Amino acid sequence: MTTREELVTNLRAAYARMWVRLKGSNREVTGLIVEIGLPILTIGAYVILYRTIGLSIQAGAAVIIGGAMVAFWTNVLWNMSAQWFWERESGNLEMYLVAPVSRMAVLLGMAMGGSLNTAMRAVGIVLLGVFIFQVPFQLHDPFSAAFVFVLTIAALYTLGMMFASLFMLYGREAYHTANLLQEPVYFLSGAYFPAIYTPIVPFALQATASLIPMTIGLDAIRRLAIYGGDITTVWLHILALIACTAILFPLAKRSLNYMESLGKKEGRLTLRWQ
Amino acid sequence: MAVADFIKSARESFRVGWKIESNWTDPVLFATYQIVRPLASLLIVAFIVIIGASLGTSASAGFYSQYLAWLIVGNAFYAYVLQVMLGMAILVHVDRTEYEVLKNIYISPGTLHPYVIGRGLVSVLNGTVSVILTLIFSVLIFNGLLHYNIPLNLLQVNVFMLFPAVILGIIGLLAIGYMLCAVTIVSNRMEFVLGDSVSGIFFLLGGVIFPVTGLPTLIQPISRVLPITYFLNAIRESFGLLPTGQYLSDLGFLALTTVVTVALGIGLFRLAEQRARKLGLIDRKSEY
Repeated sequence: MTTREELVTNLRAAYARMWVRLKGSNREVTGLIVEIGLPILTIGAYVILYRTIGLSIQAGAAVIIGGAMVAFWTNVLWNMSAQWFWERESGNLEMYLVAPVSRMAVLLGMAMGGSLNTAMRAVGIVLLGVFIFQVPFQLHDPFSAAFVFVLTIAALYTLGMMFASLFMLYGREAYHTANLLQEPVYFLSGAYFPAIYTPIVPFALQATASLIPMTIGLDAIRRLAIYGGDITTVWLHILALIACTAILFPLAKRSLNYMESLGKKEGRLTLRWQ
Repeated sequence: MAVADFIKSARESFRVGWKIESNWTDPVLFATYQIVRPLASLLIVAFIVIIGASLGTSASAGFYSQYLAWLIVGNAFYAYVLQVMLGMAILVHVDRTEYEVLKNIYISPGTLHPYVIGRGLVSVLNGTVSVILTLIFSVLIFNGLLHYNIPLNLLQVNVFMLFPAVILGIIGLLAIGYMLCAVTIVSNRMEFVLGDSVSGIFFLLGGVIFPVTGLPTLIQPISRVLPITYFLNAIRESFGLLPTGQYLSDLGFLALTTVVTVALGIGLFRLAEQRARKLGLIDRKSEY
């Protein structure tokens, strides 16, 4: 197979995996409604808490953007990281492994499908949130906001690709680990705070939080969409997000190869009900 | 005899459930997993209040420390809601589709009822571990490490007020969990959103992170028919927190809403069971 043929085959595999994900997630309208409506409940609770303690109205806008970004993190955790655990449980993983395509192509397809699905839901969350809670946005530089958003999603899903390989050999701990990584990241990324990079938050916490791409991306999007910033106010964020993707992608590929080889040696790739 | 059999079946179900939930790792790691999620949730709301206080909003410092104590207790006991709702919403799916044992349980003499109760009690035990650890860590973090002097003394809790509220609250939550099992037994692909949806509704309407008076007036009546609202009120009073002087009425309303929820839960589960049997859903395979 020539390099061109190999590339085309892998892109077709990625497209096929993306199509399954898009079709599977959108065939039931009730699911779509719940996935948009559910975060509004949590966002609503935080917006009312903000009002109870007398925080500004911009804080409400911050929590709506945070709530929309949380949808991406949840998707990365449950539909990227833990996906190969579910595939193993349902007997699909071995089919991916014997298919004449790169595992990374399958992961890329999952990431593209997952990010598109979640983007639709995130738009719904923001629109519904703005409509219900009437919070102000000051978006002066939409192109920069869109650019930062795409970079954030790329970094997040690359992280998901790396986690996918780590989760591949998990048994029941996959469910617990995905659960474990949910709320702490909501906390560290400042999804529901007005801002994580503020003097009242300890520096060590800010530094730890900066290791998560969502923290950086969320802060940049808030600066652009709520506080009227432009690309000059978020250029450091952009560099950091590019660096995250550049570091995480090769790491994902290496860890995937390592875990697959380990799984073969230990005979755990087809093991169910651990 | 029937009661003894029921208890025996529920006990065995609890034993199996506990093993499934806990024997994938060692006890220390298990306890860590139990504490991280509720503690992170608590830190989110606590930091919102701390940031609010730092931004110099109108309220006094005393208001914020009182409010933090109020939040810590509410959030800690909300772990029961999360554990029971998430655990029981997914139970039917896991046993029917993943392990494919629901049909075996169904045809065994004990029926599904004690099985569901036993598994629900595992979630209650998990919740208890989370509540205790969250309360201890909260006091250590906010009073020991950050010196916020929150008026929360775990040694001065009125256990005679606490235990009746906890027991009634748990019964109410198990009854709601029963309803979730009923819904999942006759539905498909609802299991992953149902638990989150119901716990999300309780998070918003149950007075977990703000008093129900903060809700829009039109929505407040819904809060007043939820057992979780009275459960958290009674719990907070046993810790000496607001609202004080309403313990007996809160406990009374908690008992009343719990009785109604139990009746609804049992009725709905029986209806769902009959429908599932009629439509052949007990051994449905849906993971495709």
